[in-house]
Amino acid sequence: MDLNALTECLVSTSCMVTQVTSGFIIGMLLFLVAIGLTLIFGVMKIVNFTHGAFYMIGAYLAMTVFQATGSYTLALLGAAIGACLFGVVVERFFMQRIYGGNVLMQLLVCYALVLILDDLVRIIWGPEFKSMGMPDAFRVPPLFIMGGIVPPFYLFLIAAALAIAVVAGLAIARTRFGKTIRAAAHNPSMVSVLGINTGLLFTGVFALGCLLAGLAGGLAAPVRSLTPGMGFSILIESFIVTVIGGMGSILGALVGAVLIGLIRTFGALGFPLFTEALMYLAMAVVLIVKPSGLFGREAT
Amino acid sequence: MTKTPLTSMNRRGFLAAGAAAAGTVSMPWVASAQAKTIKVGFPTILSGRVAQLGTSSRNAAQMEIEKVNAAGGIGGRTIELVVRDTKGQPQEAARVARELVNSDGCELLIDAEASTGAFAVHEVARDLGVLCIHTNSETSSLSADPKLKLPNAFRCARQGIHDSVVGGTYAAEIANAKNLTRWATCSPDYAYGRDTTAEFVMYLKQFAPKVEVISEAWPKIFQPDYTEAITKILQAKPQALYSCLWGGDLTSFIDQAAIYALFTQMQFYAVNMADYTALTAVKNLPAGIHSGNRYIKTFPSTPENAAWGDAYKAKYGEYPTNWSWQNALAINFLAEAAKKANSADGKKIAEALRGLTVKSPFGADGTVTMRAEDQTIVGYAVGWGTTIPKEPYVPEMKSVPWQRIFELETAWKKSKGFA
Amino acid sequence: MKSQALRDGLFGLAAFLILAALPLVTTSSALIDFVIRCAALGLFATSLNLLVGYGGMVSFGHGLFFGMGAYSFGIIMQRTGMPIPLAILLTMAVAAIVALVVGAICVRLKEIYFAFVTLAFQMLVHSMIIAWTPVTGGDQGLRGGIPRPSFLGINLADQKQLYLFAAALLVVGLLAMRHIVSSPFGYTLRMVRDNPTRAGFLGVDVYRTRLTAFVLAGVFASLGGVVMSLFVSGAYPEFAFWTMSGEAVFIVMLGGTAAFLGPMVGTVLLLLLNDFVTRVAEHHGLVLGAVILLFALGLRKGLLDFALDWRAARRTRAQAGGDKAAGADKMQGVAT
Repeated sequence: MDLNALTECLVSTSCMVTQVTSGFIIGMLLFLVAIGLTLIFGVMKIVNFTHGAFYMIGAYLAMTVFQATGSYTLALLGAAIGACLFGVVVERFFMQRIYGGNVLMQLLVCYALVLILDDLVRIIWGPEFKSMGMPDAFRVPPLFIMGGIVPPFYLFLIAAALAIAVVAGLAIARTRFGKTIRAAAHNPSMVSVLGINTGLLFTGVFALGCLLAGLAGGLAAPVRSLTPGMGFSILIESFIVTVIGGMGSILGALVGAVLIGLIRTFGALGFPLFTEALMYLAMAVVLIVKPSGLFGREAT
Repeated sequence: MTKTPLTSMNRRGFLAAGAAAAGTVSMPWVASAQAKTIKVGFPTILSGRVAQLGTSSRNAAQMEIEKVNAAGGIGGRTIELVVRDTKGQPQEAARVARELVNSDGCELLIDAEASTGAFAVHEVARDLGVLCIHTNSETSSLSADPKLKLPNAFRCARQGIHDSVVGGTYAAEIANAKNLTRWATCSPDYAYGRDTTAEFVMYLKQFAPKVEVISEAWPKIFQPDYTEAITKILQAKPQALYSCLWGGDLTSFIDQAAIYALFTQMQFYAVNMADYTALTAVKNLPAGIHSGNRYIKTFPSTPENAAWGDAYKAKYGEYPTNWSWQNALAINFLAEAAKKANSADGKKIAEALRGLTVKSPFGADGTVTMRAEDQTIVGYAVGWGTTIPKEPYVPEMKSVPWQRIFELETAWKKSKGFA
Repeated sequence: MKSQALRDGLFGLAAFLILAALPLVTTSSALIDFVIRCAALGLFATSLNLLVGYGGMVSFGHGLFFGMGAYSFGIIMQRTGMPIPLAILLTMAVAAIVALVVGAICVRLKEIYFAFVTLAFQMLVHSMIIAWTPVTGGDQGLRGGIPRPSFLGINLADQKQLYLFAAALLVVGLLAMRHIVSSPFGYTLRMVRDNPTRAGFLGVDVYRTRLTAFVLAGVFASLGGVVMSLFVSGAYPEFAFWTMSGEAVFIVMLGGTAAFLGPMVGTVLLLLLNDFVTRVAEHHGLVLGAVILLFALGLRKGLLDFALDWRAARRTRAQAGGDKAAGADKMQGVAT
């Protein structure tokens, strides 16, 4: 434990700025993955263990497109669209068969798909780790904001993720698709009785989740090494995020993600050897005090 | 990438192996000594994040085995490598190693597992008494701790303590010259990371007494994001940073630290940088990173070493890794020991291995020795240098004479209660 | 009730005799190793099914107790040299206490939330194992081998005797669990699973019933951990990692949750698949995944459940005018 470092940081603006922004950086990627998880759970009542795989696919696609075209914009588009299309295929062929089924059977199918997708990536891109490299536009010195250090790329990342959060939030609050999603989350049989094609709706939600996960992969690709199975750790952390925030709540996912990010950055200062344990502790505490999560509806 | 000849067991082979194992569990190599081929079990990691450890180990071993077989094999028998994936799980490593010996009829084991798995295979070697050469575990205690010593287990891999002696000496020289006194460390939070870092710091402080470590970051192994560690280090404003992150973790760290301009603010000592995969994976490698040699075909700068690196590249389309040379050397040791013992019998080979010196492209002076007292290799090329972002990547490596390494190693062993 | 206990006992005895006779007909030590691993994972998975199948509580953190078992047993043996049976009993007692504390917090929660909070506790324990290096050996695990002093003329350092010992532990453990699920407590547990509110009206203490099941499951899981630590002669943090819990969940799913022996069938199936596929295929994730998919999407339930349901359905068809409702009830595939 190193509480000195922690208190020293808490009273210094430069340190606070740096640590808080880096908390957001970690949190935002988690958030993008967690939105999909939480939406898919909210609507289809399925714990989608394959979600990390779409993040991985997004990252690899971004790298391939970036190396082929040199354009990071195209790379991000490729990652998002590719993961989305792939999501549609997976949903149509596998997920549709397990909706409403036994929870454990759903897990089994997801596990099998993760094994397969990890191996496919290994066959296509090889077993060794890869690195995409930073796009030229962002290869610039970091900014100093109130004494804190903030790389421009991360500002872009945070802005992009927040923009998506706002758009997704508005879309779900205002649009017809969003209203249907909320209704379906609340009472799926009613939605289907009202003549809405739930099959199509489910595919839409799943594809949206995959699109965001793929985008997260694309945003992470310049700074994280790419390996088969890379979706795994982000999946676990995103789960913690959704559980803390409340399964089914987008706002919850946002708050949970930032919370985990801050726990990581400040935990690294104060409790360098127990940062990981702190996350699980936070999850356990939330579950015990409010099982449905900070922003979740009561458990049914 | 080439495929291994996967040895699917036929029914007869299975029965024969079963019969061979009957009643001879303690000495499995005796029973099938008549077979024409000698099977060498090769438990390693072929899936997941560190699959490259397995593939590059296997490739190198395979390449050497082809040479040995072309020259008549060992004890007149051709070597057949039986490679199995352990997925990096210790209980799978133990299971696979047992199975290789008990049902596949492997008479020797080359344990190409990472550290945790290596300790598990070590226990199997203790149980079964089979000759076992660890090729990828760099954790010093595996061979230094007398409690773990087995007559039938050897290590053919670099060791954390040797790297640290050389690294500490090298870094102290620069620290003294440039007056670098404020240091930080950032290493993975597991046994290898902690031990190697502690040893490096110990020697650094011994040779540069003014050095103090003002900040330590301990990210988890395989952690995807190092932002929290990077900002922590930046807050402390050190003059130099040491890290024993490796593989994809190291390249992630560099990519992420580069956008914080960390490398313009401090000197970076990364013992595991000078491996071709890491060097080529990072797209914009900052110049001037100090690194230990993992595998570099220009160090030692001999024609033999360059030829070996090129041959590997020609065969597999990529440069060898640190794991590659260690496994290649293990095969060389096996072949040489078998020749000396004039037998393929595990016990006789073990006897011949103790204290054996072989000619090798990876030796500091053209030879590597399997030290008899703790059954681990010494005399291999170990150096530190500064990297540049293109070939030859490390133009100049500085080394420390092995005599000096031995002195310091002995003192370290005493302090640990190992000797 | 009596006659069923007797039948189970005889069945267990027969199973043990068959296992004991195995070394006489085969000399393959791989087969012997295989049975030892089946014993370890079978005990572990069957204990999980006490929660999943009979209690309706899906735990993602059951590996905690498997790891606890392996570690406590290993540490006790390395530090005290106590006779093995005593060390096993002590280990089970430790697991019971830990399960009581963890369970007291967890079993209040329902469904997916129960799953996640058990996962959180498991990961906390996993972090502790890694951080508490002087005792646990940290991330490298308990090294240096676990001493196995002879007791009552049994020498567990000998693979054949270890095999017999593991087979005996498996049979005794399964019989004990079988006894639990066919006892009045077992029926109370099923009632709590099916309708906790109604059970509460009938005077059942729901919380207490769940907690008891949680403790019992933890104790038997630790026994599985003991067998595993004897087999690998060590203990590793992976035993307490969530992947271990995941493996148990998959075993239970593969074999089936309704029949008592479902998890045993699942254990054999998963180990066979794993061993065979890693042996013949380089891309074993691909192959293993495809096979699991076939099972999950093709059968839609565990193998033993599928087989039993199929038999039941045939029987129902056979007695054409018979009570269809009874057959349909069985088709639900819940532990009865």
